[in-house]
Amino acid sequence: MDDIDLKKLNDALIREIASEFGLDFIPQEFDIVPAGKMLEILAYRLPVNYSHWSFGRDYEMERTKHEHGYSVPYEVVFNSDPARAYLMETNPLPIQVLVMAHVYAHNDFMKNNRHFKITRRDMISSASEAAIRFRRYEEDYGRESVEKLIDAGMSIEWNIDPDELIRPETEAEARERLYGWSGALVAEGGFDDVLPVKKKSKSREEKLELRRKTPPEPTMDILKYVIENSPVLSEEWQKDILSTIRSQALYFLPYRRTKIMNEGWATYWHQKLMNRLFAEKFLSAEEHGYYNLYNSRVKAHNPRAINPYLLGSALFQSIEMRWNKGRFGPQYEACSDAREKENWDLHLNKGLDKIKEVRRTHMDWFFVDEFLDEEVVEDLQLYIYQEIDKGDHLDLEVRETDWRKLKRLLVQSLSNWGVPRVLVMDGNYKNSSQLYLKHEFEGLPLDEQYCRKTLEHLHSLWGRPVYLETRKADGDGAGDKLIYFIDTEGVQGVTL
Amino acid sequence: MAVLKPDFDSSPRGPTDAARHREKIKEAIKRDLPDIISDEAIITHSGDRIVRVPVRGIKSYRFIHRHSDGAQGGFGSGESEEGTVIGRRPKPGDGQPGRPGEQPGEDYLETEIELAELVGMMLEDIGLPNLRQKEVQETVVSKGWKQDSIEKHGVAPRLDKKRSIKEAIKRTEILVQNLMLNSGMDEDECRTALDAAQGDFGNALRLLRTAKNVSLPILGTGRPADPSGIFLESSDLRFRTIVEDTEYQSNAVVIAMMDVSGSMGTMKKYLARSFYFWMISFLRVIYKRVEIRFIAHTTEARLVDELEFLHRGESGGTSCHSAYDLATALIDTEYPTSKWNVYPFHFSDGEDWDVDRTVKSLEKMLERGVANFGYGELRTEHSSSVLMDTYRKRLGLEESNFENLPYFSGLRGQSPVLGVIIRNKADIYPALRIFLRSGKPGKAGKAMVLT
Repeated sequence: MDDIDLKKLNDALIREIASEFGLDFIPQEFDIVPAGKMLEILAYRLPVNYSHWSFGRDYEMERTKHEHGYSVPYEVVFNSDPARAYLMETNPLPIQVLVMAHVYAHNDFMKNNRHFKITRRDMISSASEAAIRFRRYEEDYGRESVEKLIDAGMSIEWNIDPDELIRPETEAEARERLYGWSGALVAEGGFDDVLPVKKKSKSREEKLELRRKTPPEPTMDILKYVIENSPVLSEEWQKDILSTIRSQALYFLPYRRTKIMNEGWATYWHQKLMNRLFAEKFLSAEEHGYYNLYNSRVKAHNPRAINPYLLGSALFQSIEMRWNKGRFGPQYEACSDAREKENWDLHLNKGLDKIKEVRRTHMDWFFVDEFLDEEVVEDLQLYIYQEIDKGDHLDLEVRETDWRKLKRLLVQSLSNWGVPRVLVMDGNYKNSSQLYLKHEFEGLPLDEQYCRKTLEHLHSLWGRPVYLETRKADGDGAGDKLIYFIDTEGVQGVTL
Repeated sequence: MAVLKPDFDSSPRGPTDAARHREKIKEAIKRDLPDIISDEAIITHSGDRIVRVPVRGIKSYRFIHRHSDGAQGGFGSGESEEGTVIGRRPKPGDGQPGRPGEQPGEDYLETEIELAELVGMMLEDIGLPNLRQKEVQETVVSKGWKQDSIEKHGVAPRLDKKRSIKEAIKRTEILVQNLMLNSGMDEDECRTALDAAQGDFGNALRLLRTAKNVSLPILGTGRPADPSGIFLESSDLRFRTIVEDTEYQSNAVVIAMMDVSGSMGTMKKYLARSFYFWMISFLRVIYKRVEIRFIAHTTEARLVDELEFLHRGESGGTSCHSAYDLATALIDTEYPTSKWNVYPFHFSDGEDWDVDRTVKSLEKMLERGVANFGYGELRTEHSSSVLMDTYRKRLGLEESNFENLPYFSGLRGQSPVLGVIIRNKADIYPALRIFLRSGKPGKAGKAMVLT
């Protein structure tokens, strides 16, 4: 990319138009990087991160995809201050403009979405420092032990608690809160509505019990609990590695929880911005045609997954339309006349305000739950497929297109950022430092093989026996409790 | 302008970590070798030399949900209706009973690997990483005739025209140079003179001198100058000599014999088949050329093709001697042990109607100087076997144990016989290891000589 191109890539223009539409940004910077570096950023999640074979595996996957021409306009943008975006130098100019428009919308989302607002904005430098420390650990303690620890830490990296972003709490603080002493501790930032209701003072027995108990109340932040309480993790470097994994997971949690919204928002806006640029003749017809081609790739159907760019932008468009025409509320819902509904238009023009409000408050789980309707499901032809055994091969067959069932399952898959809720119940089980975990059953069982392997990792971190209470795969009602138990002999399953 | 030049640490770690990932895949394959070698999908894989193998244990494990009915699936979008097939994929652990991959919840990734690499890893695992071709006996094989040298005398059919002409040109050029020196005339005149003298040096020189004295053009005998100006003499002729062309080859033939009588069930046949597949793969590493012949037998033995060997079952009794007799005949007619390393293998469930005759036939085959005779007895709980016991007594085999697998071998190489009892799939890999480890030289001093 030469200077003339760089000048043409005048991001001030895009920023100006985006501001006119009412988007609101953190200062934005763009780095233009070669393909190899781009693929590395995608695989390592950050521009510079520590070494691990799983990143290497992902790198190879990205490279294969790239070499086989699954070319999409590559772009990554980080929630940092200033926001940092990486563009691939091989993107042709109209695509680079598209990507910059897309990035500005991400930027607006990160600045304004409540789940992003609360994350740290120095992760890029933090990760690159961690990379240096980890390399030193490899030299000092051996590559294998570092790798094993990262393996184990990553196996529970998503078993964290998003409340930790709002208000980190030590065990002592949690105890105080549960004693009922913590009236003074009011969270800053107006999140009182999402915090647990403060409980009344406890009885003497309850307080004694509370003093003894660890954790004082069940916690879903397994990783934090292990870092702070493991009987065998004594060395600082071990805690540093696990803490780094945890802080990166906390940093990426909002990305995970708003994937559909975030990409949908960016796609919705890059389309608007590009059309404006074309209308104002900043883009030639040829360039615009080129953009259209790539834009259709961005929004392409994926037969084996839901494309968040497609679903997210469709939902925002649907919300905008509905709030422009007033197609919401009890009156509209109650209307049973199909024709009347079809022509329903109160000329409210509240669409733009509504989507901005939604981008501020929601995450995917609520977003899909609240706004996915029959029209969008049918429009996008969303479905559920299953692998059907055909003797010598498996057919992937469309099995469910009913929008209510599909929506229910999709919402379920998005709850708790797609991770089963597993809580630490007791860190001193049987009064002998054994770890007791409980899977909160919400309709789907745990995958047994993954569960066993994860327990092996957890056992290597905890050093003492670990229990996991869940339910049997075929148990649909109450009962059928299944407890996995792992000690140095390996994993055993016990049905109670 | 906020478009920046990159300021990242440019040392690439992607390729390094990707290499570590591949290393882990290899480790996982090695760990799973016993499972992999009994994978039917591999051994039925025909044609190309790349196989797909399951790799377990290198995914990023974490707590994840599973759909309660066990069927995997997901969400998708695009033109469709219920029942539309949106794709297909090969079934893991293809249709083989009891394969680990078929157990619910078992999870693995499939990766592609070259068969040769897999065999190399197995040899390494077995502790034979240095199998080299030079370590086995090579035999001289005729490839026909080849040119050996060029001589000045020979018979007409082997005249090398090109070389002869070359010699003539060489000599002519020397004559021309000499004429120029001796006569002081220029090159054209010398060539014309030589031409007129029909290649004779003395006459040409005389002609030149005469012409010089009288300053006359050399007209010679009036015959037009030959543009080629080359004169072939008998001293220019060159002849080829030829010798018989031979090559040192290391050839092996596996004579695969199998009992296909009613008592050999599908599983037993499968065990034999797995064993043969890998044995042949190993031998291909060691020998330039490996042939395999199949003999199926009940009470009578027949040469069959691979397909029939592996798939057809017959009813009836068992007389193993028929197979040995046929193998011996095959050795005598097609695979003389002077040129071939012969590896007869026989799989049976050990029931035999005429043990005496079988032992005699076997001894006769061993006399031919086979490299190693392998006998695999496939036993299930209820089978009554006589053959292994008989061989043990009559051939003086010694019982040993390897990885809980009993095996019987000839004492100090007296007879190149090795017997193994195989009960299930888990025994295949140890059995292969036994056969490969026991490189006892046969009578002819050839067998797999292992480092």
